[in-house]
Parts: sequence; structure tokens; C-alpha cells
Amino acid sequence: MITVSGMTLTYHSGKGVFDLNFTVPKGAVMGYLGPNGAGKTTTIRALLGFMRPDSGKCSVGNLDCVEQAPEIQKKLGYIPGEISFPEGMSGDEFLAFMSAMRGTKSTERKNLLLEMLELDPRGRIKKFSKGMKQKLGIIAAFMHNPEVLILDEPTSGLDPLMQNRFAELILSEKANGKTILMSSHIFEQVEKMCDSVLIIKDGRIVEQANVQKLKDEQRRIFVLRPGEPDVAAGILKAGGFDMRVEQNGVFEVFVSGEKMDSFVKTAAKFTVLNLSVKQQSLEDIFINYYGKGE
Amino acid sequence: MSLALFKHTLRRSWILLVIFFGVLTMYMTVVISMYNPEDMAGLIGMIEAFPEGLRIAFGFDALVTDLTAYLASWLYGMLMIGFPMVYSIILGNALVAKMVDNGSFVYLLSTPTPRVKIIVTQGIYALTSLLILFIALFAVGVLSAEAMFPGELNISAFFRLNVTTILVNMVVMMIAFFFSCLFNEARLSLSFGAGIPIAFLLMNMLGGSAPDLKVLSEISIFGFYDPVKLIAENSVWGVNLV
Repeated sequence: MITVSGMTLTYHSGKGVFDLNFTVPKGAVMGYLGPNGAGKTTTIRALLGFMRPDSGKCSVGNLDCVEQAPEIQKKLGYIPGEISFPEGMSGDEFLAFMSAMRGTKSTERKNLLLEMLELDPRGRIKKFSKGMKQKLGIIAAFMHNPEVLILDEPTSGLDPLMQNRFAELILSEKANGKTILMSSHIFEQVEKMCDSVLIIKDGRIVEQANVQKLKDEQRRIFVLRPGEPDVAAGILKAGGFDMRVEQNGVFEVFVSGEKMDSFVKTAAKFTVLNLSVKQQSLEDIFINYYGKGE
Repeated sequence: MSLALFKHTLRRSWILLVIFFGVLTMYMTVVISMYNPEDMAGLIGMIEAFPEGLRIAFGFDALVTDLTAYLASWLYGMLMIGFPMVYSIILGNALVAKMVDNGSFVYLLSTPTPRVKIIVTQGIYALTSLLILFIALFAVGVLSAEAMFPGELNISAFFRLNVTTILVNMVVMMIAFFFSCLFNEARLSLSFGAGIPIAFLLMNMLGGSAPDLKVLSEISIFGFYDPVKLIAENSVWGVNLV
């Protein structure tokens, strides 16, 4: 459904994306991961036809993203990474305006979404909180029931409850056969919603993988405070675990899937005052990919 | 042309139009009410006391005494160019460059509306709003002149004067709008969109004040525009179509 082949797009600064190749098949949900400035938004801008690639092609549903952008927009929903709404409008005015611009008549889906995300669209958008603006952006992207959704950091600013609500929305759209490309920083979200994931770094795709596969490869990080640090360090090193000692005497131990059992049994040999699992950030995954040096 | 967008633009920008209409209405009625046929002789005497260069620079160059010519020189010499120019600069910038700059233009592009259609719609709004401004001001002019000095205003000449002034202002609007579309930063759009019309205006004033600098006013778009001559003869206004 979404195809990018050999696309290069550079800015004056020399940054950009280089020779990107990927496809999102119809009905798939693909996560697009990468650190800030890696080129996620640039790719998305090209897909929406806002920017013209220097070379290569991209298309959505067999329509060229540059030449046939207005055609594509008919069946595409988009959430910008940095949402800015037209000035001086209220939330419901904005939604009505977007419907009018698209020629959508029915308000049924809009009302359904407003209810689902618990948004009251009355009042000036300027006075909205960041979360409310994000919800408004989500509704604007989903309300015309598009076949393809391109979402740039769709959950930024949402509280955990709403992030779950949003995940439900994505899964129900997926069940309806929608094609979704979603950029994110947060691995947990991608893990929950996407089938496959695309990882970009410095404008180049470094990995395109199934989420399950990535999960298996990913190492967990346990934050551990031992009773006798010297003893504990010795035992862990002997067990062959990668670890890092933080300044306050806390250990960070990297454990891959197959070594989980052995880690628990090894840790049982010394006094553990505290143990928790560290939230996996994208950076940790990259560390995993490139070794600790990166 | 997209009707939905036109309505949106209208809702966003009508206040600006009303403000300029209010200010110009005030000037127009005040200037008309200051007209006094008996005092005109005294007034002419006063203006003649100014140095000639200064007189021409401010557009009071031809000394005439009937109401229509009085308006042409006092009102249309400077005010009816200057104020609409500010309007054109503000609106022209707001219609495209400002939206591109603050990112809300993205939402227009994420609808099935081709860019050309968006720009054409905004352009149509720009010109239509100027047209409405001048139609309303023409009505104010005619009504207040008839109320205060019945029969004194030469309506057909006044009409001709307004048509030309609209065309001149439309050129200014097009300049501002062109730069608004050309640059993606409001900063640049404003410097060019405002800078060029203001430069033309200054060139015209300078060119009028000294014979040596006459060439300056001839290359300015306002050099073609001569409200006072216009009401006397009606051949000049084709030039403004350029």
C-alpha cells in the first residue's frame, strides 16, 4: 500500500534521508522508530507530498506522492508530528472545517471518536492543553474513515489511559483492514500496536523486522541494588552477564531472553536489596544493535 | 476555488477589513466635512506657501476648487493609497506565508485540495476583499458628500477615480501576495511584500519633489497614478491595467 523505493531527500544542512526502501503491505501496521533527527518526519513529509524527493519514488496505493497528492489525501489520514492548528478557531469549528474541505457529510464517526477520546471540542484551540490538541489531531485524522493512516508521534502528550484508548483505536482500525505507518520514540507502544518495525538512524534504515523477532533479541535491563556489591559483581561476572555499575552502587544488568532463567538463579546467590526492570528506551535498543559503544 | 476554504478565510479575516473600512470611513467623512467652497481660496493660498517640492511629494500638486478634485487631491493623493497598502501587506502575508510559517498550512495540504486551488482561493479572497472595501468607501463617499454638499460631487468622475485606485491597490496586493507565496517564512514575505510597495511609494514622493529625481517616480507603479489629472481627463486609467 505504501511503497518507498530508492528515495533520497536532503536538506541544505546535509541532513535528510538516503536511499530509503520499504513497503507497508495493505492491512499492516508498521512502526517507524528512530532517535530525534533520524529522518522519520522527513520520510512522512515526502509520503504526504509536502516535499519532493531528490531522487527515488514513493507512492501510496499506486498513486505517486508528488504528482497525485490530492488524490492520495482523499483516502489518507495524517497526524503531524508537531501539530499547529489554524489560528483563532475553536475545536468544533476546526473539525467542521476539515470535514468541509474533504467533503465529508456524516458526523457519526466524528462523534464516536470524540466520545472515545473523551474530548470536548468546544472552546478556542489556543486554550487547549497539549493532550487535548493531540486528541483533536487524532480525530481530524481518523474521522473521514481513511484507508491509509500516516501518524507522526501520535501519542505524544496523551496520558497513559488515553494512550491505551488510542492503542485500542489502532487495533480496531487494523481489524478493519487499514494500513498504518506510525512513527514513535517509544518501543512499548510499537510493541503493543505494530506487526513490524522499521528502524532508521541518521537517515538510513538500519533494520526492518518483525516485532516479535525484535522482542526476542532485545535484552532486558535489570536495576539491582546488592547487599555486598563486590561479592555480587564477582558472581555476576562469573555468570557471564554484561553489567554496568552506577555511581550510587546500583547495578544495571543486561539480560537477553534465553539467559533470563540463569540470571534469576545467579542473583539468588547474593543479597538483593532492590530489583526493578528498567523501561526500555529506543536508545537501549540501539545499544543492543550496535554494541555499547554507540 | 474552494468554497469551504473561502468561508474559513473570510471568517478569519473579516475583522481586518472592517477595521480598515472604519478608519478610512472616518478619514473620508472628516475630509469631506472640511470642504468649504469659500475657504478653498484661503486654503490654496496656504498651500502655495509650502515649497513646491513638498507640495508635490504629498500629492497636493494641482490646485483645484471643486469637491471632486478636492477629494482627489486630499484623500486619494496619499490616504487611499497608504492605508489600503497597509491592509494589503497584512492580509497578503497572513493568507499564505504566515500559515506556512506557523505550520497550520499542513492541514490545508492534508485535505484533497490541490495547492493551486488553495492559492487561487486565497488570491480571490485578497482581491475580492479590496474590491468590497472600495465599493463600501465609494458608497460612503457619495452618501456623505450628498448629505453635506448636495449636488457638488461629480459622481462619474469620482467613480472613475475609485476604479483606478482599486486597480493600483490590487497591484500592491498582488505584490504582497506574490511574496507571501514565494517565501516560506513570514519574515521574508513581510520584508519583500511590504518593502517593495513602500519603496515604490517613497520613489514616487522623491521623484515628485525634485525634477532631477523624476525618473524615480516614473519607474514606480504609483508614478502612473495621478488622481487629480484623472478626474479632469479620463484617458489615463488604461495604464493601470498593467
